[in-house]
Amino acid sequence: MEEKKVILSAKDVEVRFRVRENYLTAIRGVSLDIYDGETFAIVGESGSGKSVFTKTFTGMIDSNGAITGGSIMFEGKDLTKLTTDKDWEGIRGAKISTIFQDPMTSLNPIRTIGSQISEVIEKHQGIPHEEAKAQAIELMEKVGIKDAANRFDEYPFQYSGGMRQRIVIAIALSCHPKILICDEPTTALDVTIQAQIIKLIKDLQKELKFTTIYITHDLGVVANVADRVGVMYAGQIIEYGTAEDVFYNPQHPYTWALLSSLPQLGVKGEDLYFITGTPPSLFNKIQGDAFAPRNPHALKIDFIKEPPMFKVSDTHYAKTWLLDPRAPKLDKPEAIQDLHGKIKRMTDKGGAFHVE
Amino acid sequence: MKKGYIWKRLLRSFLSVFIIMIIVFIMLYSLVPRDNIFFEDATYKKLGGKPDDKREYVMRTWEKLGYLDYETLNDFCAAKYEQGSAEMEAAMENGSKEYYEFIDTFEKKGYTVEYLQLSKKPYAFKDVPLVQRLAKWVSHLLVIDTPWSVQDPNNPDLKRYIKLGTTPTGGLALIGSGTTHKYLIYTDTRFPFLHQNIITLNLGTSYPKFEGMQVLDVIFQSQGTEVKREVTFETGVTQESAINFGSLTYKPTLDRLDQAKFVDHYANYTTNKEQSSMIGTSFIMGIFALILAYGIGLPAGLAMAKNKDGIVDKIGMFYIIFIIAVPSLAYIYLFRYLGTRLFNLPSAFPIKGAGDVRSWILPIISLSLPSISSLMLWTRRYVVDQTNSDYVKFAKAKGLNQKEIFWNHIFKNAIIPIVHGIPSSLAGTITGAIITEAIYSVGGMGKMLPDSIKQYNNTMVVALTFMFATISVLSVLMGDIVLTWVDPRISLSEKEGRS
Repeated sequence: MEEKKVILSAKDVEVRFRVRENYLTAIRGVSLDIYDGETFAIVGESGSGKSVFTKTFTGMIDSNGAITGGSIMFEGKDLTKLTTDKDWEGIRGAKISTIFQDPMTSLNPIRTIGSQISEVIEKHQGIPHEEAKAQAIELMEKVGIKDAANRFDEYPFQYSGGMRQRIVIAIALSCHPKILICDEPTTALDVTIQAQIIKLIKDLQKELKFTTIYITHDLGVVANVADRVGVMYAGQIIEYGTAEDVFYNPQHPYTWALLSSLPQLGVKGEDLYFITGTPPSLFNKIQGDAFAPRNPHALKIDFIKEPPMFKVSDTHYAKTWLLDPRAPKLDKPEAIQDLHGKIKRMTDKGGAFHVE
Repeated sequence: MKKGYIWKRLLRSFLSVFIIMIIVFIMLYSLVPRDNIFFEDATYKKLGGKPDDKREYVMRTWEKLGYLDYETLNDFCAAKYEQGSAEMEAAMENGSKEYYEFIDTFEKKGYTVEYLQLSKKPYAFKDVPLVQRLAKWVSHLLVIDTPWSVQDPNNPDLKRYIKLGTTPTGGLALIGSGTTHKYLIYTDTRFPFLHQNIITLNLGTSYPKFEGMQVLDVIFQSQGTEVKREVTFETGVTQESAINFGSLTYKPTLDRLDQAKFVDHYANYTTNKEQSSMIGTSFIMGIFALILAYGIGLPAGLAMAKNKDGIVDKIGMFYIIFIIAVPSLAYIYLFRYLGTRLFNLPSAFPIKGAGDVRSWILPIISLSLPSISSLMLWTRRYVVDQTNSDYVKFAKAKGLNQKEIFWNHIFKNAIIPIVHGIPSSLAGTITGAIITEAIYSVGGMGKMLPDSIKQYNNTMVVALTFMFATISVLSVLMGDIVLTWVDPRISLSEKEGRS
C-alpha cells in the first residue's frame, strides 16, 4: 500500500447538523487517506456517520448540515471549500460518483433509461446528443444490459431491480470517475442479485481503474471486496487497516463486537450475539471513548479521556486505550477467533461471494 | 392505450350517468309531492277562485310534464262530433249517453274517474309509471333531424330535401326542407363559427319558470336586450331585426308578418341578445379564472417550494391559510371592497354590463382566489415531495445543477397530479360559481340548480343533473387520458399493470 499514491485525503473532518435549534455533530474529526485504485470499505451500524462522511466528498450534505472543520484534499483542491454547483462542476458526478442504496427509487420513473444516462454524458463531456447516446448504449452493454439499443428508450418500471442498479452503475461510471462511492449498493437487492452486482463493480473497477469506497453493513461483502476497511462508530473511524488486519487481528472492542455479531458466526441452537445498548446521542459532547458505555471490556480511562489513534502496524491503526502499553492484555471474544478460517469457509465456496 | 378500454370506459361512464338519472328520477317524481310544482306558478295562483278551471289546469300541466294521462269528456266527445255542433252539446250534458260511455271506457282501461267540483263533469286520469317515464325521457333524449321530421296535415305539399346553400348573412349552409330546422349545418361569425342542428339534445321543457322553453335553450340562449341590425330577408325585405337565422324552425301557421319576411314555412326563430348565455357567462368567467389560477397558483407554488421555509414560502402560506380559514363570503366581499375603492371597478356585474371588460375583473378575481390557494398548496407539496425523492438526490450526485435537476427531474414529475385535474376544473367552470355569481349578480349557471330545486322545476333539475353528471364523468376520463400523455407509467388498459 505504501507505494500507492493518495487520491483523497481527509483531515479532521467535522460535520454538524442543525436539528430543531440543537446541533448534532455527526462526524467528529475523521482523518483518512484513500489510495488510488484501492477498494476501501467503511463499515459501522446505522447512524455511525458512514454515509454523511462520504457525502462530504461530493458536497451532498443535506441543507441543514455543514462541514465545520477539517479539510478534504482531492487533486489539489480542498473539497470542504466548495459550495456552489459551479464549484462542484467537473467533480461531482464526473470525478467522484456515487451510487445509492435503492435502485428502485434512484431513477426518475417518468424519464427514459437512455435519457438519464446520456444527460450525464452530455453534461460532463459536452458532446452532442447522438454521440452521447452511442456512448450510453455502449455503457449499458458494459454493465450487462442485453439488447441495449432497444432498451434505451424504455422506462425504469420496465426494468427489474438488479437491472436498474446496473443502470445506476452505468450512470455513475459514465464519465470515468476517479472515485466511485457505493452507498450500500446491494442492501435493497435480492440476495442472488447482490453477488452479481458486487462482481460487476469489481470487474468494472479492474477494467476502468477507479477507486471504490464501499459503505455497507454487510461484513460478508467487505471481506470479499475490500482492500482496506475502516470501522466507524459515533462519527469517528475507530479502527482501520487492510481487510486482513481488521478481520483477523481486530483491536478495538467495537470491531470485536461487530464481528461477533455476524449472523454467519452464530452457532445453531444458541442466541445470536448482539451489542447491548444504543449508540450515544451525538447531540451531546461525548466524553472519553464513545463506545465505552456499551463495552464490557471498558477501562476506567475510557470514560474520562478520548483515546488517540494507536498504530498497530504500518497499515493498521485503532483508537482504543487497550493498545496503550499500560492497558491490561485482553483476549478477543471466542466468536471471532480463527475468523480467517470461518470467513474463508463462508466466501470460498466455489464462487466469488456467498452470503449464506 | 387501448381503444377497447376507452370504449368500455365510455360505456361504463354512460351506465353510471344512467344510474344517476334513475335515482334522480325516482327521487324527484316520487318523493317530491306533485302538488308542489305549482308553488311558483303564477297562472295557478290566478285560478284561485275557479276550482274547475284550476283542476283542469293542474291536470293538463301534469299530463304535459308526464306525470299522468289525462282524459276529459270534452276530448272524448270531440273525437266523435264536430266542435260546437248540437250533438256535441247534447253529449257534453251530464247524464248523456257519452257521459256514461266515457266513464265506462276509462274505468275499464284502469283510469281513475273523478268529477269536477262545480260542473260535476267527469275526467279520467292514470299515473304513468316511473320506469315508463324514464324510458320515454331516454328514448327522446337524442333528436335527429331528417326531411321527414315535420308531419303537418295542413301542409301536404311540403318538399322534402337537403341541399347546399347559403344563409341570408352569407354563410355556407346545409339547408333542409321537411326538417324541423331550416339550416342543418351553417357557418356564421359567432363562436364556434360552425354550427349544427342535425342532432339535438331534448332534455324536456322548463316549467314553471321559462315555461314551454326547451331546457337547453334556457341555458344556452343569449340574454339581455336584443341586438338589432339591418338584415335582408329572403323575400327581399330589409329591416332592423335581431333574428338569428341559424335558429329558424318550422312554423305550421304563418301570419302576415311572417309571410312578408319568409318564403317558406321556416319562420320560428330566436333573437340575438347582447349578453352571452347563462352557460356562456359562467364559462367565460370560469375560463379566465382558471387561467388566472394556473397562471398565478402554479408559479407561486413552485416559488414556495424552491424557497421552502423562506420568506416567499411564509407569505404564500399566509395567503393559503387566509383563504382556507376565512369564509369565502367574507373574503369575496373584502376583495370587492378593495377593488371598488382602490381601482374604481364596478361592484356588481349589471352596472356596466357584459360588454364592459371592467365588469368581469372583480368576479373573475374573486372566483380564482380559492383555486390559486389550493393550486399553490398542492404544487408546493408535490414539488417538495419530488425534491426529497431519491432520484433527485441521485441527479445531484450525477453532477447536474439546480436548474437542470428542477426542470428535468422535479417539475415534470410534480406536475403530473396537477395535469390530471385540469379537465375536471375546465368542466367545473360551466357549472357556475354559486357564491361569486350571487354576490356580483352575474347571470350565470351558478344559481341554476338551487333555483330550479326551489321552484320545483323538475325537468330542469333532471336536465342539469344529466349534464353535470355526463360532464364530470367525461372529464375524469379526459383527465386519465391526459395523464397517459405525461406519465409513461400509466397506460389505460384492462390488465393490471406493473407500477
